[in-house]
Parts: sequence; C-alpha cells; structure tokens
Amino acid sequence: MTSHAATAPAALPAETTTASAASKALTAGIAGIALTIVGYFVSGAQVAAMSWLVGVTYWTAMAIGFLLLVLIHHVVDASWSVVIRRQWEHGLASFKWLALLFLPLLISAWVKPGLVWPWMDLSHPIHGGTVGTDVLYAKKAGFLNLNMFTGMTVGFFGSWILLSYLLRKASFSQDNDGAAKWTFMNRRTSAVGVIVAALSLTFAAVYWVKSLEYHWFSTMYGVWFFANCMRGGLSLGIIIMVWLLHRGDYKGVYNTNHIHCISTLAFAFTVFWAYVTFSQYFLIWNANVPEETFWYNIREINADGSPNQWKYVGIIAILFGHFVVPFCLMLSYRFKTTPVIIRRIAVWILAVILIDMCYNILPALKLPNGDPQPFFSITLLWVLTSVVGVGGVCVWSYLKSFPTTKLIPIRDPRIVESLTHHE
Amino acid sequence: MAAQIYGLIATFETVPDVYHAAQKVRDAGYRNWDCISPTPIHGMDGAMGLKRSIVPRISLAGGITGFCTGMLLIWYADAFTYPLVVGGKPYFSPMFAFPVSYELTILFTAFATIGGMFLVNRLPMHYHPVLKYDKIPRGMSDTFFIVIETRDPRFNAANTKALLEQVGGKDIKELEA
Repeated sequence: MTSHAATAPAALPAETTTASAASKALTAGIAGIALTIVGYFVSGAQVAAMSWLVGVTYWTAMAIGFLLLVLIHHVVDASWSVVIRRQWEHGLASFKWLALLFLPLLISAWVKPGLVWPWMDLSHPIHGGTVGTDVLYAKKAGFLNLNMFTGMTVGFFGSWILLSYLLRKASFSQDNDGAAKWTFMNRRTSAVGVIVAALSLTFAAVYWVKSLEYHWFSTMYGVWFFANCMRGGLSLGIIIMVWLLHRGDYKGVYNTNHIHCISTLAFAFTVFWAYVTFSQYFLIWNANVPEETFWYNIREINADGSPNQWKYVGIIAILFGHFVVPFCLMLSYRFKTTPVIIRRIAVWILAVILIDMCYNILPALKLPNGDPQPFFSITLLWVLTSVVGVGGVCVWSYLKSFPTTKLIPIRDPRIVESLTHHE
Repeated sequence: MAAQIYGLIATFETVPDVYHAAQKVRDAGYRNWDCISPTPIHGMDGAMGLKRSIVPRISLAGGITGFCTGMLLIWYADAFTYPLVVGGKPYFSPMFAFPVSYELTILFTAFATIGGMFLVNRLPMHYHPVLKYDKIPRGMSDTFFIVIETRDPRFNAANTKALLEQVGGKDIKELEA
C-alpha cells in the first residue's frame, strides 16, 4: 500500500548541514585532478587530455540531464516531479565549474592543436596524406576549425549557465514570495530553453566526441548523447531521492509513486538509448559504406583482423550492461519501487554510461601501429582519476547549493498535487 | 422457489466511511467482495487488500512471443525456405531481423495487454446483480456501497450482515442473483 503525504509536513526538516560532505567531495575532486596531473607526466599529454575529456564529458552529460529534466518539467507542466525538481536545480550549479574544468582542453586546442582533436592540426598524417590535403576535411573545414570550436564551446557553456541561472533564480524566488509569475517565467524560459539545450548538446557531442574521428558521420550521434544525458540525470535523481529518503529529509514528502515515476522514466530512456544506439549500428552495418564502418571496425578488430578488447566492451558492457541487464531488471515493479534495489540499478547505469563514453572517445588514442589502444590500459586509470576529479567538484557544487534553499519548492502551484501524487 | 442470493449490499455516506469499512472487511478475510464508488478513491486498492494486477505478466509473455515470432519469421523466410543472398549479407543475422522483431514485440505486447486486461476484468459485462438494486444509481452520484458475495468462503448470512453493520454500513439488503 502506498503511504500518502496528504498534508504537507508542518515543519520541513531543518536544512541539515552538508558542509562536511561538501568538503569531502571537494577533497576527492582536488585529489582526482592532482592524480590526473600525475598522469600527464607519467603517460603524456595526449593520454591525460583524452582521459580528462572523458571525465568532463561524462559529468557534463549528467548536468545536461538535470537541465533537460527541469526544462521538460516546466514545458509539460508536470506535477509529480515537483518534489525532486529542487535537487535537479541544485545540480545545475555545476555548470560554471564544468566550464572551468573544460578550459584546459580548450587551451590545449590553441597551444597544441591536434593533441586531442586531430583535425585541428593540418599537418596531422591521415590515410597517407595529411589533414590539410584531405578532401573530407576540406569539405568540413567551415565547421571544423578552431575558431568555430572555441566559439561554439563557449556558447554551449554560456547557454547552459544562463538557462541554469534563470531556472534556479525563478524557482528559488518563488520560495520567498509564492508569486505565480515565477512559474510562468520558468515556463517561458523552458519553451525556448528546451530547443537551445537540444541543439547545444547535439553540437557539443559532435564537436567534443564525434569529431575525434572526423571522417565518420552519424545523424544519430546527438540523439545518442541526449539519451545518455537523460539516463544519467534520471539515475543521479534516483540516487539523490534515496539518499534524502534514508537521511529522513523526505519524511512526509516522498511516497512510492514518486520513485515509481522516476524509475519508469529511467526505464523508458533505457529502451530509447537502445533504440538509438542500435539504429546507428544497424544502419551503418546495413549500408556497409567504408567511411562509416571503419568507426565500428576499429572498435572490433585490429588491422590484422584479430579481435581487440573493444569488441568485448561493446558486447558485454554496451549491449548487455547498458541495455539488456537494466531493461530486464526494470521490468519489475518491485525492483523499480524498492529504494535500495533501484539505487543499485541507478549506480550500474551510471557506471555503464562511463564505459559508453570510453567506448566512444578512447579508441581515438592509437598505438604506434595504428590500432586503437586497448580498453584495459593505464589510460583507464587516468579516466577514473578524471571522473573522480570532475565529479568531486560537481558533487561539491551540488552540496554547497543544497542547504541554501528549502528541500522542496514549497510554494510551487503544483506542490500539493506532487505530495499526494498517485499513479 | 426463492430467488438465489448474490450477496449483501451496504450503503455508506462518505469516502472515509467506505474506506475504513473496506479495511475492516479486508481484515476479516473476505475475498469475493467489491466497493462501488462514483469516483476513484486514492489508496482504495490498498484498503481493499488488492494485489497488483497480473496483466504485466501477460504483457511480458506477449512481448517475448512477439520477439521470437519476428526472429523466426525472418529466419524461416530468408534462411530456411528460400535462402537468398541480399546485399552480400548472411542468410540470417539477428541484425536485420531485429527491426521486425522489435515491431512485433511492441504489437504483441499491446495485444496481450489489451486482451489480458479484458480477460482479467471480465469486461464487457452486460449484466451484474447489483443493477437490480433500486438505489444503485446513487452509486454514480453521491453514495458508496460495499457488496459481499455469497460465494465467498467466509460468507455467512448472519455474520456477514453483522460485520457490515459493525463497520458502519447502512441499509443492508440482500441482492438477487
């Protein structure tokens, strides 16, 4: 039976301090960054930069997931998600730090072009010639050039930071005065913002990740990235929800239907991710055009035809880990509504999203003979330190924002509807 | 010959009345009984002790059947009865069978869900004994009822009537089958 929070709790739990957890997160973040710098000296600039790209892209995807969830919440005027929306808004505080953490990559692009993205260096050898003489580059040069890359990246972070600022300000102001205008303002911001976010995340995925192999093209790429953003945002949302529930903050707020809704949405995006990822693979497999198939070939076989590690990463982690396992588990109502179980599934999804990012980014690192570096290499260590480094800063920014407002938007017009949410 | 009795019906005035009465009927261990309400009552499924529907399991069975049908269909047509090389691809690969399997998974899941729902809720139902009760139209506007059927193993004319009285039911009547 569902427990009902028919009346809003008389006194919300005091905003218990998260200061110690925040400082722990920041310590972990700085340690991760420091270790990645060690990686720079141990494994060289290219490996460290590529690992850092995985870390920053991974956490940016999570933050974009939060942003999209808040935008969609306002656009469709959702009611159930009001009790969790505030936590997503706190998560948006990470964008300005992510922009700062992306800066080393942007600087590397200017100081040492071609370190991460080969097309930035016109003398970079490719298929017997150089990028500069490559007709496929010449055709794309209007889009793939350093000025565009820099401007667009600044634009992506600028638009995300601006949207986050507007959404947070309106939502937090409503706690004080309860004015309906903030809800309308957020709805207008979101109507525009949802388009801005969709375009910016697509181009970010194309510039940061897809252009690592600039010969390759896939119209599904932005959608693939979007699916990962949503899955990441929802999984982190589940983890935060269970955390607040176990801490006691959600007493009188939470009911089973809230976690059922967020888990069902996570389930839906599991199917969506599989649909998109399979479509991309299937169309390339079926058309069998060399400009496209090479991207999957280097993720399956070495130049001599022997299978490489990425083949097994693709089958085990991407096909089964990213889709089959969470899909089968989340078919069950009991698993979706038992906080401890769904939290485990959410952690699992977050882990496989990271492997998905590695699968898309790391094979761009080549061995001396031209084959991609294997999955299990020292690079993986620097990927993990980067993820801890960027993640620590993101979690710190969330925890720092957390005590500055009420736990839930208590004066949102739909708060009572959300508190009494029933499937 | 006296008409067969379908069950006992009791009237309740308010949502809390019928909600708490339902909890007590549930706790008394009855199985074949129902509440009649003009509006959905949040949490009534729990108050009545209803388990989750088995329809999702029927849906899953439909989905698995659909997926296997799609795979078999493509294998049967392309690799078994009339093997033909198309586009240099193998006779059979789950890759190109997948879109068909995927569509059939959804189609069969939808059929199983709709069919399963009608099987489980036994609709459309053209006749129900409570329709003979002259006050039943009020169950569509402002009154709530609880009906306990005689086929319930715990049914006993005197005890069940006493239970309904004890939980606050008014105007307890026998319903003709």
